[in-house]
Amino acid sequence: MSEFTPTIGIEVHVEVKSKSKLFSNSANTYGMATNTAVNVIDLGYPGTLPTINKEVIRQGIRACKVLNCDITRKMHFDRKNYFYPDNPKNYQITQNRTPIGRNGYVEIEVDGIKKKIEIEEMHIEEDTCKSAHRGSVSLLDFNRAGVPLIEIVTKPCISNSKEAMAYLTKLKELLFYANISDCKMEEGSMRCDSNVSISKDDTFGTKTEIKNISSIHNVGLAIEYEIKRQEEMLNNGEIIREETRRFDDKQGKTILMRVKETGNDYRYFIEPDIPYLELTDEFINDSLSTLPLLPDELREKYSKVGLSSLQIEKLINNRPLNGYFLGLLSYKTNYVTAVNLLLSDISSYLNKHNKVVTDTHLSYEKLVSVIEALETGDLSNKNVKDLIDSLMETDKTLDELKKEFNIENITDDTFIKNIIIKVIDNNPDSVNDYKNGHDRALKYLMGQVMKETKGTVNPKLANDMLISLLNK
Amino acid sequence: MDKLSREEVLHVAHLARISLTEEEIEKFRGELKVLMDDIDKIKDVKDFDDGMIYTPIEDNTRLREDVVGEMLSARAATINAPKKNGSFIEVPVMINE
Amino acid sequence: MSKYLDLSIKEIHELLVKSKITPLDLVDEALKRIEENKDLNAFITINDKVREEAKDLGEVDPDNIFFGIPIAIKDNIVTKDMRTTCASHILDNFIPIYDATVVNKIKEAKMLIIGKTNMDEFAMGSTSETSYFGSPLNPHDKKRVSGGSSGGSASAVAGSLIPLALGTDTGGSIRQPASYTGIVGMKPTYGRVSRYGLVAFASSLDQIGPMTRNVYENAALLNILVGEDEKDLTSVKKEKEDFTRLIGEDIKGMKIALPKYFISDIVDEEISKRIKEVISYLEKNGAIVDVVDMRYLDTAVNLYQIIAMAEASSNLARFDGIRYGFRASDVDDVDSMYTKTRGEGFGDEVKRRIMIGSYILSGENAKVYYDKALKVRDDITKEFNRIFKDYDLIIGPTTTRVAPMLGITKDDPHKAFMDDVLVIPVNMAGLPGLSVPAGINSKGLPIGLHIIGKAFDEATIYHLASFIEEVL
Repeated sequence: MSEFTPTIGIEVHVEVKSKSKLFSNSANTYGMATNTAVNVIDLGYPGTLPTINKEVIRQGIRACKVLNCDITRKMHFDRKNYFYPDNPKNYQITQNRTPIGRNGYVEIEVDGIKKKIEIEEMHIEEDTCKSAHRGSVSLLDFNRAGVPLIEIVTKPCISNSKEAMAYLTKLKELLFYANISDCKMEEGSMRCDSNVSISKDDTFGTKTEIKNISSIHNVGLAIEYEIKRQEEMLNNGEIIREETRRFDDKQGKTILMRVKETGNDYRYFIEPDIPYLELTDEFINDSLSTLPLLPDELREKYSKVGLSSLQIEKLINNRPLNGYFLGLLSYKTNYVTAVNLLLSDISSYLNKHNKVVTDTHLSYEKLVSVIEALETGDLSNKNVKDLIDSLMETDKTLDELKKEFNIENITDDTFIKNIIIKVIDNNPDSVNDYKNGHDRALKYLMGQVMKETKGTVNPKLANDMLISLLNK
Repeated sequence: MDKLSREEVLHVAHLARISLTEEEIEKFRGELKVLMDDIDKIKDVKDFDDGMIYTPIEDNTRLREDVVGEMLSARAATINAPKKNGSFIEVPVMINE
Repeated sequence: MSKYLDLSIKEIHELLVKSKITPLDLVDEALKRIEENKDLNAFITINDKVREEAKDLGEVDPDNIFFGIPIAIKDNIVTKDMRTTCASHILDNFIPIYDATVVNKIKEAKMLIIGKTNMDEFAMGSTSETSYFGSPLNPHDKKRVSGGSSGGSASAVAGSLIPLALGTDTGGSIRQPASYTGIVGMKPTYGRVSRYGLVAFASSLDQIGPMTRNVYENAALLNILVGEDEKDLTSVKKEKEDFTRLIGEDIKGMKIALPKYFISDIVDEEISKRIKEVISYLEKNGAIVDVVDMRYLDTAVNLYQIIAMAEASSNLARFDGIRYGFRASDVDDVDSMYTKTRGEGFGDEVKRRIMIGSYILSGENAKVYYDKALKVRDDITKEFNRIFKDYDLIIGPTTTRVAPMLGITKDDPHKAFMDDVLVIPVNMAGLPGLSVPAGINSKGLPIGLHIIGKAFDEATIYHLASFIEEVL
């Protein structure tokens, strides 16, 4: 019965991956001892000046590319002036007039319908320091001060919580894949603010801002709650104030933080310590040359080599494994078998030992030989399970390992023949069933063969031999 | 002589985060008015073209290679802070969280 | 009493090379002179380790004329482990933990830092009377000011306490006190000398420069100070050059412009007359001097007020009692920590300027005042460029009057700017400018001649200045 149309805009801050900070060369890290990843610039010491980290500008260019933004060729930085203890200079260096990217979009799909979420602008700025509150005092740790951030601002073009969640999921996937940010909302390397308003006509209603929501799921809940709250207010004839709220996930409610003063007076002006920065074609192309394949490009590529959509999504969700698989594509092999192996035995091994595939001894050549052996029947799935530790931990070839594990014996015809004859002799009923046309009996007999050999025989070879002996 | 109102003085003092005594408020009502009249003269200047400079430096900004440099110890980082608490710098509790 | 410090740097150097004297002798003489002239109030802090440093200086370097020469540093340039106050209560116990780039250069040149000189609080003022430590006096007449904001450096050099000093010039703060005290003061081209470690007043105008007894020593000291600094993005890379190279050459054919405004009725008659005498002397020696019309010169003070106060309001926001400096006692909430610390820590001139500066940037005012000022700043720069198409140098008086009596500009918010009406245009255009003594008035007070050069053409300024010094 809702006759209101919601309008939602989303602002996302992501911490940019780099070795050093945006305006100083102290470390951009997480989890160092209090106030040890700092220098005089991060502390805003008198007389200090900013320098610009080249890698952060490169990351900004990459972010423009993956979010389809126009790149601003000539830019400057601006000072946003506001007093707050976590803001060391009491101004933040950001980009107000010349954001590095404009007019971008992210394509999402909700209930089978595609939509472009338009990005108004994207800019580079520095993070504040971290504060912890202890009763009547707050404690400041400046390790985070000056960490590079990219802020991405959508147009107010999102219609509901599903779209908002789809946008954030996609944005996270893109920035994570492009290696621009870790996008860990729980560690604060991705932060999200939502602006929500509702209206009965084409004009925008008064918006409220919901700050620092801790997960994509909660963004959905917060938006839904906020839309409902605003509808109830308007239906009751109440007036919505422009205010900042936060989402309390335990109560499932948005809670008032502060009513906005009439227009924030940030006293922006151009940062005079940083002359114009002009991006050349060469610099832009060079920055983009290291951009990895993005999820949609991967999806297309993988479906062409015959992977199922389930396999594709599983692979994309595991970036190290995906990177490894991408490398495998330059080898000629059965990719479906490869992915099955990667997602089963290899993944179990990696999870068990808490390793990534690139830290193991599994060379592409070795993997290809395993796949081949599985195809020809020289190796059973059981064999792979037995060999997995050695495959991952040693440089021995498959042939060497087969010798070591006595896997070669099982292709010895006489050995297998003797076992099969024994099984036929011990199971006359099943042999009869088979001769009367019951295929299931063959499976049973084959099972007995495997049991006798503890699964070490080449199954294809054993199967062929069983049939020929039964048919004698 | 023209003077600013009390409220006008308190407004700019708030922007600059400066506490003023009653005596100072009175004093600045006149003094700030003089300066505001001074800066108002810019409105009458006819500018020649649309060019605008915010720094005399026209060169393209240099970019720094992404290499971590020397950092301070927690002791050095907090050595000048009027209030310390372990390795932290202490301030009165921040409420706008 | 020894009078080594009255000798030229070259002569002192010879004595050092011949081991007739030691750096310690020079330091002891300087300390004695400072002690005997305490009433000049030229210094805020004396380097209590300077005698040790003099002893530890090592072998005299015969190729370095500055080896072992004592120098004074204005107290807004940070010195590691040596108190740096900016003549403000808010920093009166501040011990920096790093050295300014120019201080590193001074130390590398084996000069000895004798102490930190008095100045207007945060360099805001034109008489040094806004200092928290009281006003320095003019050695020519102790009832008069030594100018500002580098008044302490001017007093120290003019009073023969020390042969060399560093000043800083945002709107005439080197040249005007040099003129009032009869010494040589150079504001180099913006970008010539690194600002890293100079406590910013107005970032787009500030520049460090030498204040000395004569032209040669000024140029030689500038040789040491210049150079691109990776820590300051506004410092510029230039070919290495010797600024003394044109000193002593004749001035035949030199083309000099004299803007009408510089000899208009805003200038004291005695000063105008003296400048005209100097000009006719230059003409007799083959220079071509033309009176020219220059637009926008009379807008410079207006521009300065807007740009300098706006930038200052942001630059001084960092003084909040959190990371360094003074914090007001009995503050139990964030807001009173800011307002009481800053209310008690800053003097009136600083308060006025940062309040007006905040006002200038507030809301729509930023467009009306700040953006407009940047436009006119572009116009005045273009006007200088136009003149410099036809002329090598521009000259005029440095100041409209001789050093005023103590107390007459204090607490007059408007007059404080009018002392610098002739020198401010140079900062707007980022050009180099120098004041050289051009005789005295009927009361025996110094008159300064102002020489303005093309960007990065300090050598030609020294050329003319040395000629004037020689013939007068």
